[in-house]
Amino acid sequence: MIEEIITSGRMNHEIDPQLHIWGWEIPLYLFLGGLVAGILILSGVFYILGREERYPFTIKILPIVTPLLLSIGLFALFLDLSHKLYFWRLYTIIRWNSPMSWGAWTLMAIFPLSILWSVTWLEDLKPQWFNNYKWLHSSLDLLRKYRQKLAMIMVFFSLILGMYTGILLSAFNARPFWNTAILGPLFLVSGLSGAAALVVLFSKETREKKIFGRIDLLLITIEIFLLIHLFMGFLSGTQVHIEAAKMFLGGPYTTFFWVFIMGFGLVFPGILEFMELRKFKVPTAIPAILVLIGGLLLRIIIVDAGQASRWLY
Amino acid sequence: MLVRQVDGYIKIFMKGNNSLNTKYLNPYVAGMLLGLILLSAFYFTGRGLGASGAMKSVVTSTLNTIAPNHTSNSEYFAKYVADGKNPMNSWLVFEILGVVLGGFLSGAFAGRLKLKVEHHPFITSNKRIALALSGGVLFGFGSQLGRGCTSGSALTGMAVFSLQGFISMIAIFGTAFIFAYFFRKNWIGG
Amino acid sequence: MGPLIPQEIISLDWNLVIAFVVGIGFGFVLEASGFSSSRKLAGIFYGYDTVVLKVFFTAAITAMLGLLYLSLFGWIDLNLVYVNPTYLWSAIIGGIIMGLGFIIGGFCPGTSVCAAAIGKIDAMVFIIGIIIGIFIFGEGFPIWKEFHEAGNLGSLKIQDIIGISGGLFTFLIIIFAMILFKTGEWAESQFTREEY
Repeated sequence: MIEEIITSGRMNHEIDPQLHIWGWEIPLYLFLGGLVAGILILSGVFYILGREERYPFTIKILPIVTPLLLSIGLFALFLDLSHKLYFWRLYTIIRWNSPMSWGAWTLMAIFPLSILWSVTWLEDLKPQWFNNYKWLHSSLDLLRKYRQKLAMIMVFFSLILGMYTGILLSAFNARPFWNTAILGPLFLVSGLSGAAALVVLFSKETREKKIFGRIDLLLITIEIFLLIHLFMGFLSGTQVHIEAAKMFLGGPYTTFFWVFIMGFGLVFPGILEFMELRKFKVPTAIPAILVLIGGLLLRIIIVDAGQASRWLY
Repeated sequence: MLVRQVDGYIKIFMKGNNSLNTKYLNPYVAGMLLGLILLSAFYFTGRGLGASGAMKSVVTSTLNTIAPNHTSNSEYFAKYVADGKNPMNSWLVFEILGVVLGGFLSGAFAGRLKLKVEHHPFITSNKRIALALSGGVLFGFGSQLGRGCTSGSALTGMAVFSLQGFISMIAIFGTAFIFAYFFRKNWIGG
Repeated sequence: MGPLIPQEIISLDWNLVIAFVVGIGFGFVLEASGFSSSRKLAGIFYGYDTVVLKVFFTAAITAMLGLLYLSLFGWIDLNLVYVNPTYLWSAIIGGIIMGLGFIIGGFCPGTSVCAAAIGKIDAMVFIIGIIIGIFIFGEGFPIWKEFHEAGNLGSLKIQDIIGISGGLFTFLIIIFAMILFKTGEWAESQFTREEY
């Protein structure tokens, strides 16, 4: 008798017939990562455009929370690891053709960048803290000279941060629902939209709230457009892609997606923001909060639906 | 330009009768729209509108979250949580979610969004709150006994010629008319 | 041939999405016609505001006519449309209790959700009342269970009882409604009109 040992990925019950290895930790990280990317992009871009007087909240105050948000996201990511003690190995090499490697190093770069960026503005916001530390004064002065360059590097890395999560998911060829290039821009736009919503929610300047409300409206429209095209792309693809799209058009995810994400998270806030544009009185907190919740729900459903989609029917 | 013209036509269309320059929709137009919405509900899903059923789902869910054993043993609520069913996963709950959205939008368009207690100047806010609470308790109880409220039983029932619908309608409005005299102070003052 | 969902012409998973969209329309029209104001709602019982009468009857008649016409064109199968079954005594007593609740509270469940959506605190309290009322009913159910289930006559339609066709009945309702509308307009003109 000859004993044959067959090893196949399909014998892993967590992969076949359905992938269910990712729970809530990954969507939370995706959401926070996108939000941080959005905040830093808005902050950096508007600084480069010279609007620091007009949009003080966006440029100076909001980036302060980014290290905290990023830490929470990274912690969620850490919680998801199976071999938690070996996470440092990701940082021993850069693999140019691995989105995960790109992601790990981008996060490594963004963390100190965001701290440096927020610190440069701290003196403008709270000059009284620096009265006793004259030596800090001069080092901050040095940093301030390089603000333009800092802003540009930050925007570059934030763009990668915003998009790489989508590209990481789209690298999973075996999950037809993720296997689309639209996920990258979709997550970026969703993150920017969430950041704009944060500005609308917490800023004290009416002009800033108005302008970012309109920016949010534009981003919501682009996001709806991208989502529609996501489905159009699937429906004109191979049979497995059509089946993946059908999960959302008469399948198990239909209600959750169209009512909560499209309805409450995108279309309804969009209508409210549009009414704001047309000078109707609308409490601005409502569309902002709905957009943020919608962004989180979008990540949850994409991670969940992607794991449910498969090649074999 | 075009928006302003269309806006003007809509204003003329919306003006109610009795020469009151009102922001509310013409009631006959509103009735027709409501009828068409009801009709489309029938055409698409084979059932009409409703509201009290959604509130029952809320009560069942809350009870189930707080005291699952009690709910499964309760004669009335058990059937809604049998086999691990989620009572919130119901037609009426999603319809009511839509009502919240639709009402909010309409209020936002007309500038009627305001946190307040609406009452006749003759009575105080607190009295109105007390009346609303008691009215609500009665209505909640009655809707379960009568298997439906004005939207679900009366309006939808009438549209399909259901006997239950007509009985409900006559009972509800008849009783309200009879007792109207006793509560006139709250609505029309002296 | 409708209705679509019961015959699975479109997937069952769209049911709740359609419910949501129908609800949006329902809520919008209710609020736009003024049903978010308890004072307008109670107006019909005193004659100063007959919006309830007009909207209710117009809607019922539109839907009745619509169903009859659609059935005539063969676009809907009326046997698949849900007709709520008749439970004689619980309907009457339940209706009386609801009527009391209506005249005291000034709302019904659907309109109270609408009003709560635009910020009316009395409507939110009314909803809390409904929840308490349902809770009381559910907890005490064994007491009135017999009564609740008595007199089940099945899904009876008016045509079966009175013996006239649906179309003729609708015609009579339309005549009745027109008389009511005229009376309503006259009643409203007796009061000074206020905007609530």
